Amino acid sequence: MNRQPALATKLGKLELAYPTLMGSGCYGSGEEFAPFADLSKIGAIVLKSVTRLPRLGNPTPRLVHTPAGMLNAIGLQNPGIDWYLEHELHKYAGRPCKIIGSVAGFQIDDYPYVCERLAARDEIEAVELNVSCPNVASEGETFGCDPDLTARVVEAARATTNKTLIVKLSPNVTDIVAVARQAENSGADALAVINTVRGMAIDVETWRPRLGNITGGLSGPAIRPIAVLAVYEIARAVSIPIVGQGGIENLTDALEFFLAGATAISVGTANFTDPRIPERLVEELQAYLARRNLGSVREIVGRANVEIATAHQYEGDEG
Amino acid sequence: MATLDLHPRIHATTILERRELTGGVILLTLNAPELADATQPGQYVMAIPPSGEAAATALAVYEAEGKRASILFFVTGKRTRELATLACGDCLDVVGPLGNGFDCTGHARDVAIVAGGVGIASVWLCARRLLSRGANVRLFYGARTAELLVEAQRFADAGCELVLTTDDGTRGERGFVTDVLARSRVPEMIYACGPSPMLRRVGAIANGLGVRAQLSLEETFGCGVGGCWGCVVPLTSVSAQAPGFPPAERGGSDVVFARICKEGPVFWADELRW
Repeated sequence: MNRQPALATKLGKLELAYPTLMGSGCYGSGEEFAPFADLSKIGAIVLKSVTRLPRLGNPTPRLVHTPAGMLNAIGLQNPGIDWYLEHELHKYAGRPCKIIGSVAGFQIDDYPYVCERLAARDEIEAVELNVSCPNVASEGETFGCDPDLTARVVEAARATTNKTLIVKLSPNVTDIVAVARQAENSGADALAVINTVRGMAIDVETWRPRLGNITGGLSGPAIRPIAVLAVYEIARAVSIPIVGQGGIENLTDALEFFLAGATAISVGTANFTDPRIPERLVEELQAYLARRNLGSVREIVGRANVEIATAHQYEGDEG
Repeated sequence: MATLDLHPRIHATTILERRELTGGVILLTLNAPELADATQPGQYVMAIPPSGEAAATALAVYEAEGKRASILFFVTGKRTRELATLACGDCLDVVGPLGNGFDCTGHARDVAIVAGGVGIASVWLCARRLLSRGANVRLFYGARTAELLVEAQRFADAGCELVLTTDDGTRGERGFVTDVLARSRVPEMIYACGPSPMLRRVGAIANGLGVRAQLSLEETFGCGVGGCWGCVVPLTSVSAQAPGFPPAERGGSDVVFARICKEGPVFWADELRW
């Protein structure tokens, strides 16, 4: 009997039984999906971002389905860290998968303030810093779009906890690699690549934006190639693990991210198509690795063979 | 609302019957005994697209009887177009039943149901429940044009008194169904499902008359199960349906955003702050 290929992986100190995360804001607390999804077959749930103060969120409509994806502008609706710690967090204890908290902020000080309180709780095994929410300020993504501001946020949060710190990067920048480098240099244990891509949709009957917030963040298969490229380029520039995300719906999509350099992957919008996708994905991943006589998912991370592509290109040029 | 201890699950169903009621209006009857058994009036399912190529679609459970549950929908976009291609014998996985539906208990003897367009799909089980407990049910039913007043005869046959309107006057009175409602005998309770402008008008009429109204809201859903907060509506924080979040002050009262998919889709008109 062959041994089953290993799917376990690590993000900093965080050990995951499966290399699959459920994206922040897409999976509630897990409780909402528990009746139809086996939470023991996923690596971790990234909780919805929490801020220092309560937020009502954006006006409606907050969602628009678009070709091969979805625009959202929820606006970080959350009860604020104090309420969250007192009334929400206990619900997450005893989940059969790891729980990663998510922190968002509007000033640099917000991040260490919320991160410290969140990370102090046993229910939370790692913290993701959302420096890239596109839907909360007119400038959008003030921190995640600037390498130096990102560095200050990460440094400040880093000082508050030893738990794994994941920094979620925005694709809405000219040079995502520069931001990734700064996050790594400032103490990030891992990077989540990518958050949503800014977008807009207009109702041609009413001539009004289709989102209450006017603009939103695009997710789903429409952004997958953008995300794969970002993972690929960042993986060559940093040495910390990357959580690849952006339109992953099936094994093929997930493999692209692993090959591009992701240590783990995250499923978001696809849960809205079929809540069985994450479970199916790990089964198919295991079968794929077994078929290729690979002992572990770690063996395919970053193995996209770009040299061959380059050779073909030269042949073509010479012909 | 009828708050239930929900045990939604994924039902692997088979299409037993497909009828095109009129151009672009499809009725799919599913072999789904557990779903049919569990569904309460006003609840819905998320239909998982067989192609896997789009988000699941929220659809009201139209009928639920014995082994059969059905969905009735207008073909309006990519996702409903895909569902419309399904034929007898095809498989369709649905998640449900979901949401808090209509409260059909109580003692209201004279009730009005207001349906606009495809909203008719949400109110059949409600009408049946009300009729079975002896209520006098008037159905105010409006659509763009006569042929889109699907299933009207069925409601009449079941015992509803019909008040029909069409935008173009091809059947019933020309105009909006809410205009007729506003000058009709005042009911003891109103149930409504339809487009948001219609529901806002129904809510305003009901609140003006001091009649309680239960409105089944429509909105673009993300997950459909309460996980993404994409489909919200402002609700007074004192509502029994308010999610346990700290309220915010808005327009002179404390409001919270409630999820239409989870706390709703049916809300009391006098508790909405939209």
